[in-house]
Amino acid sequence: MLAIVPEAARFRYLLAWTALAVLLCALPLFLSYSQKEILVFTTINVILVVSYRHLTLTGEWSLGHVVMMGCGAYGSALASKQLGLAVPLSMLTGGVCAALVGWLLSYPLFRMKGFYFLIGSFAAGEVIRLLWKRFRDPFGGPKGLKRVPGLEEFEFAGLRIDFFDPVPYYFFSLAVAIVCIWLLWRIERSPLGWSYHAVHWGDDLARSVGIPTRRLRRRAMVTASFFAGISGALLVHYVGTVNPSRFNVEEMVYVLTWAIVGGVATLYGPILGVVSLTIVNEIILREFGLDQWRPLFYGALLIASVLFLPKGLESLVAPARSMLSRLWTRSA
Amino acid sequence: MSILEVRDLTMRFGGLHAVDGLGFSVAKDSIHGLIGPNGAGKTTTFNVISGFYRPTSGRIFHEGVEISGLPMEKVADLGIVRTFQHATLFRELSVLENVLIGCYSRRRTGLMDAIFGRWHKQDALLREEAEELLEFFGLAERADFPAGNLPHGLQRALGMAIASAARPSLMLLDEPFTGMNAEETLVMMDLTRRLRERGVSILLVEHDMRAVMGLCDCITVMNFGKLLAQGSPDEIRSHPEVIKAYLGGGHTEA
Amino acid sequence: MHELLLQTFLNATYAASYIALVAVGLVLIFGVMGVINFAHGELYMLGAYGVVAVYVGAQQSFLLAVAVGLMFVGLVGLLMERALFRPLRDNPLSGLVASIGLLLILQALAAIFFGVRMEHIPPVTQEVLRFSDGVSLPLQRLFVIVAAIVLLTGLWMFLKRTRFGWALRASAEDREAAQLQGISVTRIAQLAMVIGAGLAGVAGALTAPLVRVYPYMGHSVIVTVFIVIIVGGVGSLEGAVIAAIAYAFVHTFVTTFFDGVVADIVGLLLMLMVLVVRPTGLFGARDRA
Repeated sequence: MLAIVPEAARFRYLLAWTALAVLLCALPLFLSYSQKEILVFTTINVILVVSYRHLTLTGEWSLGHVVMMGCGAYGSALASKQLGLAVPLSMLTGGVCAALVGWLLSYPLFRMKGFYFLIGSFAAGEVIRLLWKRFRDPFGGPKGLKRVPGLEEFEFAGLRIDFFDPVPYYFFSLAVAIVCIWLLWRIERSPLGWSYHAVHWGDDLARSVGIPTRRLRRRAMVTASFFAGISGALLVHYVGTVNPSRFNVEEMVYVLTWAIVGGVATLYGPILGVVSLTIVNEIILREFGLDQWRPLFYGALLIASVLFLPKGLESLVAPARSMLSRLWTRSA
Repeated sequence: MSILEVRDLTMRFGGLHAVDGLGFSVAKDSIHGLIGPNGAGKTTTFNVISGFYRPTSGRIFHEGVEISGLPMEKVADLGIVRTFQHATLFRELSVLENVLIGCYSRRRTGLMDAIFGRWHKQDALLREEAEELLEFFGLAERADFPAGNLPHGLQRALGMAIASAARPSLMLLDEPFTGMNAEETLVMMDLTRRLRERGVSILLVEHDMRAVMGLCDCITVMNFGKLLAQGSPDEIRSHPEVIKAYLGGGHTEA
Repeated sequence: MHELLLQTFLNATYAASYIALVAVGLVLIFGVMGVINFAHGELYMLGAYGVVAVYVGAQQSFLLAVAVGLMFVGLVGLLMERALFRPLRDNPLSGLVASIGLLLILQALAAIFFGVRMEHIPPVTQEVLRFSDGVSLPLQRLFVIVAAIVLLTGLWMFLKRTRFGWALRASAEDREAAQLQGISVTRIAQLAMVIGAGLAGVAGALTAPLVRVYPYMGHSVIVTVFIVIIVGGVGSLEGAVIAAIAYAFVHTFVTTFFDGVVADIVGLLLMLMVLVVRPTGLFGARDRA
């Protein structure tokens, strides 16, 4: 009797994951062209926000994270345009660029913690954005870079797959997202990830037993920047252009909102945040033609969630799951 | 052979000399007490030795290696680990996880190790080690307890367990008996002695004179940031300067 | 060359005045509430729109417009304290996040009410003080400089001479100690918010005819002010003023001899350098860890 319970639980798990996989694969079938495009952007944003959460593991909140995404976008765009690198390779280059910038910035920034880090990261991000604006060569100035090559089309079993179409690009980004999330998950669920928690919850205590907290913060920042860079690279090779204002504070505030509304205690919290807000955004705001109200909506949501749901949507998951499993056992 | 040697240590905050030309040494495998009236500079001395503060001047040697001015994590790496006055723990984590984090400080997992899972074998070893430490500190039954929910005495023991997990050769205990009842104090004294038997030398700052006199092999007395006296408990008890300092300071915990 | 230097000096003095007003308000709020108010640039923007509404829209006198801007923005500050910072008092990071939310809301509201186009505000006076051939100071700028000196001196007197001012400083230095002295923390917080927000509003109103007024104008101001308070030391009012002057001079001179973007970059790099060399800022005693 006792042996059956985990069996049933495993079955339920399998069922849930299969359902999720089917849903993710079948999703494009139900969407219009513009909604398919949004699906691509949402997938890219999932990588961005999950990488953002990785840095918050050490207790630091950055306001320069979308600029790291931008470093990936510019890096990848330049690598493919100027150096003629194949796009998948240039994307990796973009990630490495972002990681490098994150590494450089971490030296001044991690002299500070908390508020000061927040403001410092904001300022550092602005410096980078200004550099993109100022240096027409190679960054293209305020107008940015245009005609960035897309992902090369290829033939597979007689099928030609063209990545200008949102659906193939969606599957490509989904694959990349799954790999990224899996990697970040592996890091979090290792002694390294637990040390990040230690850095967050007891800096002095961690240092007193010899954990180099600053170095660990730096490592988390470099890792997070790398994956933000990958998300930027995915973006730039889909839309084909990149400019400095794409990575301004407003965009950063969206990322912050996704993370805070979803919650950052779990890996799925921020994903929940970005997905649910995108759905609300697209259905409510776009359908009713209220696009210019988007900042107002996000601002109100940000305030409402810190006031009324400080632990984010993820804090509703456990009660919901236990309710579901009760329903399941009753019907079984 | 001394495990710790402090030479002419001075720590100034603004115009205030918290520690002023202090010198003493701790013998290997001993329990050494650092006492003095309130404001004598004991805690500051502790903070300087452990790397929490940078000394204004003076040198500190650990087994002949200079450690003065190194950051706390480096000092810990070299084998000097401190505990904190207020029970400082990873309150959100379980008791076992707290000790494991202490163990991780010695065997670091790199990014690639984490991704490729090259830590499981080592982790099993560390877990065994952590469990053994919990046994030693009398925490084995509560391994899965959230650390923040432990009773006060056990939180102190856990603090020492975390510190021991880093395998120090010298442990600095910051007022380990504060806020403990007589029974808890006895348990803690016993723990401290057994820790020494495991080859950990101990330097402690403490107000509870009975505990200090009963426990320490050697005692250093500070007053106004300076060395006042040093010797065995019996010598200190009858030292005229010490008696004067304690009575003069209106401090009569002894 | 001589004239150019002198002219740049005057421009820098003007910039230093309004930056100091905004920065001192932000530092005051941080000191007392423990929260970095990200919407501070938007309070400045609201002050400027106060002038748009009263001076341009309702055709009232400029002075009245500035007074309305001051009071309106002060009131907004009071509301922020009540609605955001008081409920989130125990969690400063949430307070900051809430102020970011407010930033978006205020920008969006300004865009809805006034449109995103730049407003043209006719100068109150066309008069220009001419010192020599290449050196002049528009009277409108002189207003700003004089107003900043008067307001900051007034604030300084208030903080040093009055009971409330004393309480404000006590509470900024040590909130718990102030509480023990029987000072109502809420009252002090309200006062700090009114003054801090009011200073930003007044700066916005005074400079409205001199700058481009549009809903997103707060952004460049907040970046500048963040640099200033970090360089000056986040808890220090005097530091904020001195850093505002230093920053304004560096920025104006680099703008004159190179260009504006380079000046922004230099300013930000300067801030990062200060952080590396002296993480507590030049005048801050507070530990940043």
